[in-house]
Amino acid sequence: MFAVLSAALMVVDARLTVLHSVRSQLGLIVEPVYWLGRLPVTLWESATQELSSRNELAAENEKLKAEQLMMQRRLQKLAALTEQNVRLRELLNSSALVDDEVLATELIGIDPNPFTHRILIDKGEKDGVVLGQPVLDARGLMGQVVEVMPYTSRVLLLTDTTHSIPVQVNRNGLRAIATGTGNPERLELRHVADTADIKEGDLLVSSGLGQRFPAGYPVATVTEVVHDSGQPFAIVRAVPTANLNRTRYMLLVFTDPRTPEQRAAESAEAQEEVDRRALEHPDAEAPIEDAPPGEAPQEVPPAAPASAEEPRQ
Amino acid sequence: MIATRSSNLWVIWASLVLALLLSVSTLPRFMEIGRPLWLALFLTYWVLAVPHRIGMTSAFCIGLLADVLNGTLLGQNALILTLITFLVLSLHQRLRMFPMWQQSMVLLVVFGVAQLVQLWLNALTGNRPPTLTFVLPALVSALLWPWVCTLLRAVHRRMRVN
Repeated sequence: MFAVLSAALMVVDARLTVLHSVRSQLGLIVEPVYWLGRLPVTLWESATQELSSRNELAAENEKLKAEQLMMQRRLQKLAALTEQNVRLRELLNSSALVDDEVLATELIGIDPNPFTHRILIDKGEKDGVVLGQPVLDARGLMGQVVEVMPYTSRVLLLTDTTHSIPVQVNRNGLRAIATGTGNPERLELRHVADTADIKEGDLLVSSGLGQRFPAGYPVATVTEVVHDSGQPFAIVRAVPTANLNRTRYMLLVFTDPRTPEQRAAESAEAQEEVDRRALEHPDAEAPIEDAPPGEAPQEVPPAAPASAEEPRQ
Repeated sequence: MIATRSSNLWVIWASLVLALLLSVSTLPRFMEIGRPLWLALFLTYWVLAVPHRIGMTSAFCIGLLADVLNGTLLGQNALILTLITFLVLSLHQRLRMFPMWQQSMVLLVVFGVAQLVQLWLNALTGNRPPTLTFVLPALVSALLWPWVCTLLRAVHRRMRVN
């Protein structure tokens, strides 16, 4: 009887959405339990932190300062590049987004099943997390939210065997699908032609084609391209740029909820508006240009405009 | 007198909650593939010791909690734990007579079967480990059984659970 009951529960949970609210409410107990489960680790970490020597801290400080300097240098360049990018995109009338909103979050638990790559983070429904939301760390994409509970959510990492992400090669825009292998240090590209222009060291960035991940975030670096004449496709292995099994702090990305079509339509409307204004250009701009001369007589003696007009005529 | 009459059921549930905690606690990566089935071990002890208190229903409820914690399909762990309880209950008379190492052997088989069912259920949801390592937790749990059993028996006697 219990077997039938649990089988029924499983089917309902997998196929229907009825149980999802029940689940998410039951999820309330998850956070304290994981917190307790992590307690020994947390205590140990804080103890080592307390006891770490002054020298170590100083060295770390030094290192972080150097890193910050490097980052700031890159940021300076980036600001100029972003500006340029925005201007060029405006010229192209493109609807692509340049920046997204993010929310910082912390890892609170790891799935006890070693064959699934899922983690638990400390932001949930109450913080506006939604299903399918992308998660990043400082170096690249990490995964997406697969289950939202009131104060926590579960994130499926890129390297889980059930996860795939559309990517493109940063160098030439070649598109591919990166699939998880169950190994936290490896992704594989599926169905890449033997003749495709892809080589070791290529950076793979998200292409945004699945409309789930934002475009342009680094995903992985190609480590190995094997051309086996017995195989229909090249075997391409890549290592994720994000520290999937070491990161403690992550970013949740809030992308534009509109579809690309909506965005395109809206930007087209905006452009039409601009064009219409441009058509009324002479009427609209004439008073603006006339205004200074109109005001000018109050300040400048009438002789000045007269003298300005005389040479022209 | 009162102490002996009250059956101290909370001890059982406290130990099961402890098992739940242990089952999600952080382990080093290399140990994670051999994570003992704490819940199954603790449950087995109580089913053997006080079968009139802890049965299939308790196993089912605890299993549901484990499902929520692990984020598996609701009912997956419930089914596994109910299966283990069923097997242990049906072997109950013999298991109690066996010496410790023989109990371990029997439990190895029981946990192995449970892990196999777990593997099938995982495969149904598209998540299949490529190797035989899924039986490792069963082996580790069977090896841990004598210690868990001794420990819980001490608690059982001390707290007069019945």
